[in-house]
Amino acid sequence: MSADQEKLITELVGKGLAGDMDPINAIEDRVLRSKAKAALAKAKRAAKTATTATPTEEKPATETIAETPPSDNPNKKFGKMIEDTFQGSLDAELNDTHIQLKPDNWFEIAKWLKSEPSLYFDSLQCHTGMDVGENMLEARYNLHSMTHDHKIEIRIAVSRDKANIPSIEQIWRIGDWFERETYDMFGIFFDGHRDHRRMLLPEDWEGYPLRKDYEVQETYHGIAIPKVKVGWE
Amino acid sequence: MGVIHGEEMVLNIGPQHPSTHGVLRLKVKTDGEIISEITPVIGYLHRCFEKHCENMTYDQVIPYTDRCDYLAAMANNFGYVVAVEELMELKVPEKVEYIRVIMAELQRIASHLLALGVYGLDIGAFTPFLFMLRDRERILDMFEMTCGARLLYNYMWVGGVSHDLPKGFVETAFQFLDYFEPQIEEYNNLLTYNKIFIERTADIGVLPADVAISYGVSGPNLRASGVKWDLRKNDTYSIYDKFEFDVCTGDGGQGTLGDCWDRYYVRMLEVKESVKILRQALAQMPKDGDVHQALPKKIRPPKGSIYSRTETPRGDLGFYIESDGSPIPTRVKMRSPAFTALSVLGELAGGWMMSDVISILGSLDIVLGEIDR
Amino acid sequence: MGMLENRFQDNVVVAKLDKLIGWARSTSPWYFQFGLACCAIEMMAAAASRHDLERLGMMPRSSPRQADVMIVAGTVTMKMSLRVKKLYEQMADPKYVIAMGSCATSGGPYWQHGYHVLKGVDIVVPVDVYVPGCPPRPEALIEGLLKLQEKILDERPLTRKMA
Repeated sequence: MSADQEKLITELVGKGLAGDMDPINAIEDRVLRSKAKAALAKAKRAAKTATTATPTEEKPATETIAETPPSDNPNKKFGKMIEDTFQGSLDAELNDTHIQLKPDNWFEIAKWLKSEPSLYFDSLQCHTGMDVGENMLEARYNLHSMTHDHKIEIRIAVSRDKANIPSIEQIWRIGDWFERETYDMFGIFFDGHRDHRRMLLPEDWEGYPLRKDYEVQETYHGIAIPKVKVGWE
Repeated sequence: MGVIHGEEMVLNIGPQHPSTHGVLRLKVKTDGEIISEITPVIGYLHRCFEKHCENMTYDQVIPYTDRCDYLAAMANNFGYVVAVEELMELKVPEKVEYIRVIMAELQRIASHLLALGVYGLDIGAFTPFLFMLRDRERILDMFEMTCGARLLYNYMWVGGVSHDLPKGFVETAFQFLDYFEPQIEEYNNLLTYNKIFIERTADIGVLPADVAISYGVSGPNLRASGVKWDLRKNDTYSIYDKFEFDVCTGDGGQGTLGDCWDRYYVRMLEVKESVKILRQALAQMPKDGDVHQALPKKIRPPKGSIYSRTETPRGDLGFYIESDGSPIPTRVKMRSPAFTALSVLGELAGGWMMSDVISILGSLDIVLGEIDR
Repeated sequence: MGMLENRFQDNVVVAKLDKLIGWARSTSPWYFQFGLACCAIEMMAAAASRHDLERLGMMPRSSPRQADVMIVAGTVTMKMSLRVKKLYEQMADPKYVIAMGSCATSGGPYWQHGYHVLKGVDIVVPVDVYVPGCPPRPEALIEGLLKLQEKILDERPLTRKMA
């Protein structure tokens, strides 16, 4: 490019950044016009990163001055209350979707969640297990309060070799059947459960079906269980 | 005269028994006729629904949800589709919303008719069963007119429905409603206020409200204990906020609050409310619109999880879906209302006689397909 | 046989004893209501007012000892299969089995990933008639029962015993 053209392009880019696209669009020569537009796009991108870089530098300064405002999201609000009442029970950062807890103090926390008047989580809506990979199993609890009408989700992650979580079936009575089903499907043991046995599968079934690495057994009482044949899909 | 000391006997009811509503086994410890402990054993219909969900795409799962609660298949479809659409933040056209509500309410009437008819059959009354099934057949005719199937429809898809309403559906529906409303009076005369039925069901199996909430009981069983909780009003989904209807609760009309008669009567009242909603929905529905316009080309919800609930004829059905961005879900958990309803049987049935246990079991309205999945 | 014909009045019929027994058996098969899943609802609808099964002579019986035909309606799981076998053995001869629906025929929609589903009830009991459908309409079940009636009519119970 000649020096004249470069100077022209810089001038046009300046005008374009100010919002005036007419001079660029009025260029007769197609090649020059496209070069000018490309240079304008590059300049706009550079300007955007410059503006976003500056606020992050300022943020830590303002945060130390003012307090973080309390969050409206129930998971964050109640997660903070749990952390305040039972130190060291959170297993991960507070976020919008769930509260991650450690399994050790779970029975006490659950009793407090049900009886604390401002929370009063009196119904365990759903309990499920999850195979999250990396040799970890998770138990997830969806709690809901009929009086205050708010809900949270609690997740407890344990390793496959030592999958023990305290049982909460004495607090929410539906936990009895929910925990038996999770044990049946995933193999998570619930300490303190008064009737710990399989729920849906027969008592002498081997394996935990909903784990990702489950291999179905060959026969059951003499009846052969066919494997999925290759090429049937 | 001395007292005759009996021994406790363990009696086994089912899994094959005409009144267990499917393959349910009850291990009953009795002393003569009085029952001391009852343990339900389930799992005879475990069809690996959740394992199938982990290997099929999101729309291939819909026929499997049909077969879980086979008496209210439209309601299962509705619950699943609402959960996936919430995860994907997909909005459906207004006509589709109206069609879904109409189908769901028709299904509610059909399911309650069958539940009440079979309850009468368990008690020993054969005639109401035949009458209620006759009216249910007319509703199944309407379903067949729309989507071709009588029992398991695969009708509600993610983003729409499978077929539009045919010509003449609205007229047929209004004709059915005009025919059906006086029939409810006939059922009341036959069964609801029948002296023998009241003797068999009133004051039996009383479920207090706090026990019900702790056991997770929901739907008509919870409302019969006096708790005014209906997901269509308290946690609205779809367009239920556009219709006017009451939430019916039990009031101990013929006995104690929360007994078997209350659970029966709440279902009868709900049928009347469904007729009200249907009349409003059929009148307000937009006449034209394409039901397939919002169907996504590929269903790929963003990474995340959701728990969403809807109100089926049995209670609140919850779907917990976790997705990792691929077209196949990572985990779908179906939290069924009949599962929680059956778990409370052990509490309710202690101290009653054998025939009362059958009465209590019938009033809970369970479907084993949903419990075992 | 030739000398017996036309020797008596019109209300005397001469036929083989096999046919008489077959006719009596086929026109009143009492079915054992073994409804397991969704097909059970269609079986109940077939017995209700619109498609009446009782006009064909079928009566529902709850006990296996009193039944002739066992209609296996629905999915049979591994846990249930042992009980199906036991109930079949409790029925008295002559007994027949109808597999209703695709789950009882071959596992149905659960054939691929169903680890707990028995892929067809004919693994545990011998089946006479298969009725396909998911669920089969009540009319389809009635056709299956009529086919069973034809099968029973063509049996030769006396001939079998003497052979």
